[in-house]
Amino acid sequence: MTTYTERAQGSAAADFLAEHAQVLSIAFFFFACLVFFSATTDTFMALGNILNVIRQAAPILIVAVAMTFVIITGGIDLSVGSQVALVNAVAAIILAMGYPWPLVVIVMLAFGALVGFLQGWFTAYQGIPAFIVTLAGLSILRGFALYLTQGYSIPIKDAPGFFALGRGELLGLPVPALIAIVIAVLGYVVIRATKYGRQVVAVGSNMEAARRVGMPANWIIASVYLISGVACALAGLLIAARLGSGSSNAAVGFELQVIAAVVLGGTSLMGGRGTILGTILGTLTIAVIGNGLILMHISPFFTQIVTGAIILIAIWLNTRIFTTNFSFGSGRRK
Amino acid sequence: MAAGTQHIAAVSGVGGASPSRAGPAPRVSLKGIRKIFGSHQALRGVDLDLYPGECLGLVGDNAAGKSTLTKIISGTYIPDDGTIAIEGKEVRFSGPADARSLNIEMVFQDLSLCDHIDVVGNLFLGREISKGPFLDTATMLAEARKMLDALEIRIPRLTAKVEKLSGGQRQAIAIARAASFNPKVLIMDEPTSALAVAEVEAVLALINRVKAKGVSVILITHRLQDLFRVCDRIAVMYEGTKVAERDIGKTDLEDLVKLIVGEGSKQ
Repeated sequence: MTTYTERAQGSAAADFLAEHAQVLSIAFFFFACLVFFSATTDTFMALGNILNVIRQAAPILIVAVAMTFVIITGGIDLSVGSQVALVNAVAAIILAMGYPWPLVVIVMLAFGALVGFLQGWFTAYQGIPAFIVTLAGLSILRGFALYLTQGYSIPIKDAPGFFALGRGELLGLPVPALIAIVIAVLGYVVIRATKYGRQVVAVGSNMEAARRVGMPANWIIASVYLISGVACALAGLLIAARLGSGSSNAAVGFELQVIAAVVLGGTSLMGGRGTILGTILGTLTIAVIGNGLILMHISPFFTQIVTGAIILIAIWLNTRIFTTNFSFGSGRRK
Repeated sequence: MAAGTQHIAAVSGVGGASPSRAGPAPRVSLKGIRKIFGSHQALRGVDLDLYPGECLGLVGDNAAGKSTLTKIISGTYIPDDGTIAIEGKEVRFSGPADARSLNIEMVFQDLSLCDHIDVVGNLFLGREISKGPFLDTATMLAEARKMLDALEIRIPRLTAKVEKLSGGQRQAIAIARAASFNPKVLIMDEPTSALAVAEVEAVLALINRVKAKGVSVILITHRLQDLFRVCDRIAVMYEGTKVAERDIGKTDLEDLVKLIVGEGSKQ
């Protein structure tokens, strides 16, 4: 007699591991870095140093959260460094004219939104690949910053309220770090639990399917570049407030740090897959490596080599060891 | 039941190769639909009527224009020429959202699922239940379970990502998504190609069930034997035109095969 039996349900722990392999592996890597630098240097775990690391990581984290949205839609924003520099320079110029700083902050955030939306419009509604639009943006926006400042650094004077944004402390934490934490939590909630976040993932996962079920696919694509623009403006303001000046040479190479942090966090460049938690861990890992190597008295020129190598190794581990059915290449899409 | 009597009237009041009927007005009426992709004439003037509570089988060789025609009804493609009337009123779709708002649902051949979203999210894709800006995950999960149970679809973990599921399960989800939100017109493009025996039976039973509720169904399939179990009429497409329409009682497999391969005219 044949007996019919039901297949046992897979263990919840295995499902959990498979689904969160990306975040778990970067978390493991991050804690390995913490342990390594605590053991090899005396000062790494000092409170002052930790606060310093998160203060410096704040602008990267803010933009990386926005970049996670962009990359989840399958796009990329190469212009973030130039956007930061432009806002940084323009904010200093306007402050130097004597306008009140809260007004400058609001105007700059709106300006970032406009610049971001313009790039989003070309990408979403005109069908130009994001890589090309934002590569052009990288050149154009940095050019504007250079032209406006003529390459000089513009000092900001007598704006203590503004400086507090970059240098102040609240509840024992640096203000930029607090702002970054708020942005990261906001990003986490939006992508996980809101209708908009679901639409962003859907568009990145299968744009045509999202369109067919009536989602405003083009608008969603454009909107993530708008978010990126606002985040860049915020980062540019925080950097200006910390350094007390605006410069067209701010945030050179910033886009690469941001993209590295996002990708290190397990977000797929093919779109659809990504987490804010991974991005936070990726950002902190890069910040900790940079800081730790300096504390170990290793040549700062060497930092770039190590950072690059670690990105490669971490992602290699991620693709080959922690998950067996994951790849970055074209094999991802069936 | 009103839908049932309509159904009988529809079947009995017909005759000849191109049936004309005095029954209810067509729910969907296509006239002279043309669609050109570049230099390729995908559709060369197709007329088609679809009545409430009937299942129309759409058959034809590959590239005969079946999928293009159904995508025009679902608003995915905009026709270059011709008119679409829904319940007597001429409409002009600007996109799939317009068709969906008129309760026209389609199961696409490529399924149109988002691999990185879980089963529940895919079932509610585009009509997420939300509280303010936030997704109401608990309600959607409960509703999704009910939807799948009603269609006898067995998927153990509804929070699993769709990419983890088998081809048959994916297809079942696409069908459940189209059939569960009270469609008036349900278009299915090869819905059973990846399904196992029991699942095919469930889909055929589903078609008969929604038909009884007055839903108009268009079924595209290469499994001709399925057509005879659910369809009331069959339209045959050939090279971008509709070459024949047959009532199910007045045709057989041999006749259909001849029509599909283009030997029908030699009779």
